[in-house]
Amino acid sequence: MAKPHRNLVRDYRQDLRLFGSPAARAGLAAMLVTLVMLPMVVQDDFWLSVLVYVGITAVGAIGLNLLTGYCGQISLGHAFFIGAGAYVTGWAGGELGLPLVLWLPMAALAGGLLGAVIGPFALRLRGHYLAIVTLGLVFVGEHLWRNFRGLTGGNSGTSVNAPVSLGPIDFNRVELAGEVYSRNQGYFWLVWALVAIVALLVKNLVRTRPGRALQAVRDRDQAAEVIGVRAGRYKIGAFVVSSAIASVAGALFGSYQQFVSPDEWNLLLSIQYIAIVIVGGLGTVFGSILGAVFVGALPALIDRFGDAIPGVRTSVGGEGFISVFALNQAIFGVLIVLFLVLEPRGLAGIWLRIKAYFKSWPFSY
Amino acid sequence: MERLTPLLEVRDLVLRFGGVTALDGVSFDVGAGELFAIIGPNGAGKTSIFNCLNGVYRPQQGTITLDGTPLTGRSPAAIASLGVARTFQNLGLFEHLSLIDNLMLGRHHLMSTGMLSGMLWWGKAKREELAHREAVESIIELLELESYRRMPAGLLPYGVAKRAELGRALAMEPALLLLDEPVAGMNLEETEDMARYLTEVRRQLPLTMILVEHDMRLVMDLATQVLALDFGVVIASGTPAQIQDDPQVIEAYLGGAA
Repeated sequence: MAKPHRNLVRDYRQDLRLFGSPAARAGLAAMLVTLVMLPMVVQDDFWLSVLVYVGITAVGAIGLNLLTGYCGQISLGHAFFIGAGAYVTGWAGGELGLPLVLWLPMAALAGGLLGAVIGPFALRLRGHYLAIVTLGLVFVGEHLWRNFRGLTGGNSGTSVNAPVSLGPIDFNRVELAGEVYSRNQGYFWLVWALVAIVALLVKNLVRTRPGRALQAVRDRDQAAEVIGVRAGRYKIGAFVVSSAIASVAGALFGSYQQFVSPDEWNLLLSIQYIAIVIVGGLGTVFGSILGAVFVGALPALIDRFGDAIPGVRTSVGGEGFISVFALNQAIFGVLIVLFLVLEPRGLAGIWLRIKAYFKSWPFSY
Repeated sequence: MERLTPLLEVRDLVLRFGGVTALDGVSFDVGAGELFAIIGPNGAGKTSIFNCLNGVYRPQQGTITLDGTPLTGRSPAAIASLGVARTFQNLGLFEHLSLIDNLMLGRHHLMSTGMLSGMLWWGKAKREELAHREAVESIIELLELESYRRMPAGLLPYGVAKRAELGRALAMEPALLLLDEPVAGMNLEETEDMARYLTEVRRQLPLTMILVEHDMRLVMDLATQVLALDFGVVIASGTPAQIQDDPQVIEAYLGGAA
């Protein structure tokens, strides 16, 4: 008997696969190979550290996209939960010396619990109340971080010395087949493996019952109620999961940077994440990662190449009319406006268009 | 005609918005298996009855009981779980989700996968997804929606979107289906298509339907019982034939002494 064509879907099980077509599976394999090989090719510490930060940002962005892109709720409080995750890591991993398999879930749990406490205040109301409540949260958070010295070290910050080994592998110094890899290389693997895991978890979430409910609430909350979706419950659920993921990003951030201070969890960080999900594409997991690559790398690049950009002031009292910080702010603002006006579906939308073009090539429609 | 034991009992429903009385002491019974039509001029209170039935509005007075269970005071989501489904006059589809996902959402209250098990795509979550997908496919087949499966609901042609919404309501496996103007804005051909689908659904599924509709031909052809409203008050009820000749109904529709 002739073999059925490779693209023929014969049952629902096949239809529900995430990577159903041979092309999608090839793409997945290519991505995985890239992730494994990249740190061996790019050995430069600066670029590796940029990629590690991008990966951490991608984790957080996936979390925000779940809330904003899939559930339609805007949160300005992402920075608060990222900070909380970093401090939990400093305490559980650093002071108590717990291993990676404990401090990472603990950070997620703490973020989720904080989200569960704060969510109900904002999300039982319709409209953009969450944005307002979480805006307040960032400032309450900054105050807490500055004064809750036992945990955060106050204004001067605290060091985070969490162990990062998984069984025999120490990500600070990976030894593989006689070869020793640096801390940056190890962290690249750790962080990007977590990007893949979080992406998979969220992708699964949004294609099953709870994820569909989130999207129904986003599109039309009253119709959602009428067909049996308890909108309030799902808004809070999305906020809890999103906060937990943000705390995972914070935990990775703290443990990689080994030192954190309250200045890092400000409104700009939250706005950076909003820029990422808008630029990457609201309501897509892949877009969150794309956005993190393009927008998340910007601050590090500006910091590094600030000297070469005319008009940028790299030191206090130096020449130039705009500081690095202000330039970042301006760029995020411009990106948000440009994408909302010109390409509301973000980079993911552009990617889909390119894919559709080549699928129907040589026909243009 | 002998009527069956009522599935839905509505007694003395009063609904006010400030000084405006939308429903003023409306009572009626809907028997199991009936296709019960509610007619009346614009603003008569037809959609208000639906909004009371599924909990979107809270009536100031009166009771609604479905199969012995009181519905008044419950949330829309709770009423949906008790088996009341509805379609909307101006479409209530989730426009960014595919037709399949819209129909799967109809089965939300029959499923149980939570956030964590959904994330892990574990045995039970996966099995549940497959089982309900099969149920949804049978509705897609019944309503002949096969070629639109993957299309975002917002891009569906109007007539198809109306049918998809009927499909989502059917996916809920309701005991009582509320149809709010299923053929509004349709041409004759589309109206006849919808009538055919409704007849087919009634033939295949053990459903009780309440239909709000302006298209008198459709109502007279399909309905087993008709309730006529004007200014929130019941002016007549009975079989289509009885309603057609009722002088008060003629007056409400044609206005004044004709």
